[in-house]
Amino acid sequence: MKTKHIYAIDLVLIVGTFMGLIFLVGYSQPLVISPLNEFETTNSSVLFSIEGAEFILIDDNNEFTSPEKFIVEDGLMINLKPGVYYWKVESVLKSEVRKLTINSEVDLKLKELGEGYEITNAGNTRLDVEVYNGTSLISKIKLDTDEEKNVFGTKFVGGWGNDK
Amino acid sequence: MFLEQNLLGVGVMINKLFEASFFRLCNDKSLRVKRFCELFPMNKSLIIFALLVFLIGSVSALGVTPARTTIDFEPGLKRTVSFSVVNSESKDMSLIISPQGELNSSISLKENSVTMSSDEQSKQLSYDITLPNELSPGLHIAEVVILQLPEKSATSEAYVGAALAVVTQLYVHVPYPGKYAEADLNIVNAEQGEDVVFIIPIANRGEFDLVSVKANIDIYNKLNEKVTSFNTATISVGSKERKELVSKWKADAPVGTYRAVVTLTYDGETINLEKQFNIGKEELELQQLEVNDFSLGDIAKMEMLVENKWSEQISGAYSQMQIYNEEEELVADFSSANYDIPALSKKLIVSYWDTAGVKPETYEAKVFLKYADISSQKNLQLKVSENKIEVIGLGYVVSSEGSEGDDNLVFILIVGIVVLILINLLWFLLLRKKLKSNRM
Repeated sequence: MKTKHIYAIDLVLIVGTFMGLIFLVGYSQPLVISPLNEFETTNSSVLFSIEGAEFILIDDNNEFTSPEKFIVEDGLMINLKPGVYYWKVESVLKSEVRKLTINSEVDLKLKELGEGYEITNAGNTRLDVEVYNGTSLISKIKLDTDEEKNVFGTKFVGGWGNDK
Repeated sequence: MFLEQNLLGVGVMINKLFEASFFRLCNDKSLRVKRFCELFPMNKSLIIFALLVFLIGSVSALGVTPARTTIDFEPGLKRTVSFSVVNSESKDMSLIISPQGELNSSISLKENSVTMSSDEQSKQLSYDITLPNELSPGLHIAEVVILQLPEKSATSEAYVGAALAVVTQLYVHVPYPGKYAEADLNIVNAEQGEDVVFIIPIANRGEFDLVSVKANIDIYNKLNEKVTSFNTATISVGSKERKELVSKWKADAPVGTYRAVVTLTYDGETINLEKQFNIGKEELELQQLEVNDFSLGDIAKMEMLVENKWSEQISGAYSQMQIYNEEEELVADFSSANYDIPALSKKLIVSYWDTAGVKPETYEAKVFLKYADISSQKNLQLKVSENKIEVIGLGYVVSSEGSEGDDNLVFILIVGIVVLILINLLWFLLLRKKLKSNRM
């Protein structure tokens, strides 16, 4: 066998090994499909689509000092409060860190009943609702997300209430 | 939506149809119809229609995002803040926008009133803020109120119904002179022997950086005896920054409720925080299920030995048993009475199954232990014969999703790398040398 043939086999082997390693690392790397990096939404339920990973880590800082850990499963929806989050997935290798923002939304729904109203918190924050009769403030109501209450009044003003 | 928007028009149409039917009906000569028409004169149709409209009721909704914008104070700061009004019910709306709150004079609105049509899902608006040169330290709030006017009456200029308003808030944090921190305490409960995680978020609300921030955590049990004490790491927190101190404690202590007392120190100042947490959780475990003195067709006495693994009494606990035949049809569903089970002790919970008409075969059963807001389930089989019920497989169903796939990946990765190494070694250390020496 000629020397150049030996060198050719050297080259093929080195390139092949290099490509094989890239393939193996790529194969072991979890595939993160969605949500995309810098994704913003007002929907508190976020659908995560991931392949080849065992856990999702979510934290409010990109150093992941106190992450919440979720087991990956089909159709995984995670409920998050409004805020900025960083997330990554873990398997043999870790994925990139992605950013996710849940924008706060106040949404107040008013349904006329027989003699009063049913108010519903349709947003993603806790609500403090001021109830007026004419110009007089008659009561203040706290509403959790998706909570509804029956009230009497002529004007309802909803704003983000404190969590505590 | 169409019905609501055109309620009046549709209502008039319904009313006319109703009247026409009524007229045709009352022209009928039969006695029964005549009596009906006497009982319900023509104007009753109007009342029925009014009732219908009254019962439908109208729905209105209004949203705004973001619900809050937070900024750090800078003297004379000028900024434009955007927000979106959300037309969640897709209605035509007239909106009035106005500032309120302590900083309302710092807000200048670009528009004081806007309209939204039913096909506009959201509308982006903005306001300008100009902060004063001085504000006292702490939090200052302004609000922008978006008011949806009620609909106008069809017959007059008066508004009908209630007004709905939502608020988007502006939080302005003014730094405290010198060094000032705000902190909170979050604790992640754990099972016995696992790590309890203490998270202390720290917001530096002062003018200066905090060089040395650390915390001491004391753990007390229910008898107020100190269980342990430990320190967190030391960190620095820049002005207007937010960081976390995180510490873990291995819960080698009895199951129960504990109290964490945290003393946070930053550059000579202290903040005291306190919170309760749990090691383990309220847990009842079904240890044994027996049926004694059984005769098929009689009432079977199901005796369940249940252990309370919690350090306090669990009150109002009961069992529920669902029994399924081979066709997976529910054969029986029965519950026990309520029991109070003292801390860390076992108790017999009794329930009864009427086996009249039950065939001797093997049944699948689900046993639920229900207490507080918890429902724990065990699956088992009941082998029913003429004078015996044998309980098979008293074991919890444990899911172990995920680990298998992960192990496969590790295996493939290792095998792949080993194969590559072997090929390289074989070539460079053996075949290559051999070929070269052959050439010579």
